Amino acid sequence: MNVLIVEDEKALAGELHIFLTGNNFLCETCYNGATASEKIATNQYDFILIDLGLPDYDGLDLLKEAKQSNPEAACLILTARAEVYDRIKGLDMGADDYLPKPFSLLELQSRMQAIMRRKFGLKHNLIALGNFAIDLTDRTICFNSAQVNAITKKEFDLIAYMILHKNRTLTRPQLSEHIWGSVVNDDYDSNYIDAHIKNIRKKLNVYESPDWLETVRGLGYRINL
Amino acid sequence: MKLQTKLTLFNTVSKLVIVLLFVALLPSLINTINQSYTDSRFRKQKDKVLQVVHKSGIQSYIQNDEAYASYNLLKEEYVYLDTVSMNEFLDTIKNDRRKVDGDTIQYRILSYTFKIKHKNYLLEIGKSVSSIGETSTPLQNIAFEVLLSMILLTILADLVYSNYVLRPLGLIIKTKLRSNKFPQFGAYEKVQTSTTDFEYLDVSIHEMIQTIERTFQKEREFISNASHELMTPISILQSKIENMFEEDAVSDELKIRLLEMQRILNRLKTITKTLLLISQIENEQFLKEDTIGVNELLQDVYDEISIRLQAKNITFTIDVPADIKLKDVNKFLLFNLFFNLVNNAIKYNKEDGTIIISCAPVKGGLMIRITDTGIGISEAQLPHIFSRFKKFRQSLEQDSFGLGLPIVKSISEFHHIHINVHSEEGVGSTFELTFPDELIG
Repeated sequence: MNVLIVEDEKALAGELHIFLTGNNFLCETCYNGATASEKIATNQYDFILIDLGLPDYDGLDLLKEAKQSNPEAACLILTARAEVYDRIKGLDMGADDYLPKPFSLLELQSRMQAIMRRKFGLKHNLIALGNFAIDLTDRTICFNSAQVNAITKKEFDLIAYMILHKNRTLTRPQLSEHIWGSVVNDDYDSNYIDAHIKNIRKKLNVYESPDWLETVRGLGYRINL
Repeated sequence: MKLQTKLTLFNTVSKLVIVLLFVALLPSLINTINQSYTDSRFRKQKDKVLQVVHKSGIQSYIQNDEAYASYNLLKEEYVYLDTVSMNEFLDTIKNDRRKVDGDTIQYRILSYTFKIKHKNYLLEIGKSVSSIGETSTPLQNIAFEVLLSMILLTILADLVYSNYVLRPLGLIIKTKLRSNKFPQFGAYEKVQTSTTDFEYLDVSIHEMIQTIERTFQKEREFISNASHELMTPISILQSKIENMFEEDAVSDELKIRLLEMQRILNRLKTITKTLLLISQIENEQFLKEDTIGVNELLQDVYDEISIRLQAKNITFTIDVPADIKLKDVNKFLLFNLFFNLVNNAIKYNKEDGTIIISCAPVKGGLMIRITDTGIGISEAQLPHIFSRFKKFRQSLEQDSFGLGLPIVKSISEFHHIHINVHSEEGVGSTFELTFPDELIG
């Protein structure tokens, strides 16, 4: 998958590059709108990440150009200008998703996966973990073809996020940002991830011990696949 | 009391006092005037009589020592001449009784003795007291009526003038102070007045409002800009930390320290995001066009927060009918409003406590009550709970920075929801939200 990163903050562009390359994306980076405009006109990309706050270009104009010359590409808008109208305007103009800064790289990857699933019509993601079968599209868990109903929405979100980032330790801040990211409240560190994981283990233990869900001491949790 | 009312009241009372005083003094005043007038008339009459006596001789009046008396038909006035013994001497004017034709009548009498040819004569000129006083009652009445109408006229004039002269003040209070609710100030309109004091007041208030507005605007801009500017560096740091977790060269020990950094960065991020949200709400950057079911919204809040309820084993009851809807609201903001209130109700609650959310129609809208069995808020702290970064209540987990209720406050103000808080220390708190009629779907 080819990704064009348009981000004027070099340090951030660099980290995006490292992270996406590490996740097997082919990345190109540009730091201003003019170069990005040229690249969009000449090359074909699967993903274009656009920072709205470019020094020389209106990010929304760039989005328009991208939609014309790269109609197949999925466009993701990144911005620190978290204005609500930007969001509406961006999505109206054909952006596939919108990620307000600061965001977690894991969240970015998860959004990109979701777009891929939607846009490029990936088959049902059926993941086998022990004797559990987890369907990420239908959001169901089955044990030997019998559905496990006890799992709540939040708990499934956690499992799905860990499967998406399989074999990688996810810290509590990362997990709580994913499942409580849209809520603005005044807690910090208040982290009920442990309680959720405990509930998940208890509910799955009825069928089989979920050994694949590992606690990484002092750091967080991971699902090994 | 309004200035105009006070002035009118003072004017009326002071004038009334003067009138009453005057009315009380009037009879004796008129009597004195009458009397002195009568007395001076008596003296003139006496002089005239003496002139006549000198001219035509005393014999034409007194013959054979017989007294002379003349009075008119109604016995109101009389003149009397008589001889008296030589050593009598009189020159007085006083009230006395005289018997005339069998009637005893009270007269005011001038008595005067004079000598002609070694004989002493007494002259008496009398006027009945009742005829002297007869003009005093109508005079009093007329004086009273004229006075009263004059007073009424001046009160009316005072009223009209004070109303005219104080109108600019009323206008200043109404348009500049009462209708100008902080932080929404209307455009400046000069109040027309020829009174320099009011002009000065108007201009001063305007200048003060402008200063407040500028400061407030600056603060809002600063918070908005500062939080925006902080987003990018936070984003860079967050990405760097996340990427470092994946470096093989980083030992587990270092990873734990990275996690600490991530936690602290998260804290910075949450504060910045919250401040940005508040400034966005205050700058009215949200739309209000959602229609939502209250019960449904509270269920969403419950789903989001149930893990925290479980952790403290708190009983959570939503007692809101399913058909109650809110319109022209922002769903995201209202979700955050209730989330923060319920989150607080959990945070400051006791183990095995309860939280009840109920609703009731009230005058002018709908009231939603969130009652907890928590540690409560002391009376001294109550006025400050909506201030930013103020932490009064000792929560069991020290994990908040005092922006939950400020969020609640700015979301409520944005929607014109009125908040009222009752609390008793050690018993619990109740947050009452009154949604105005316009928001009830």
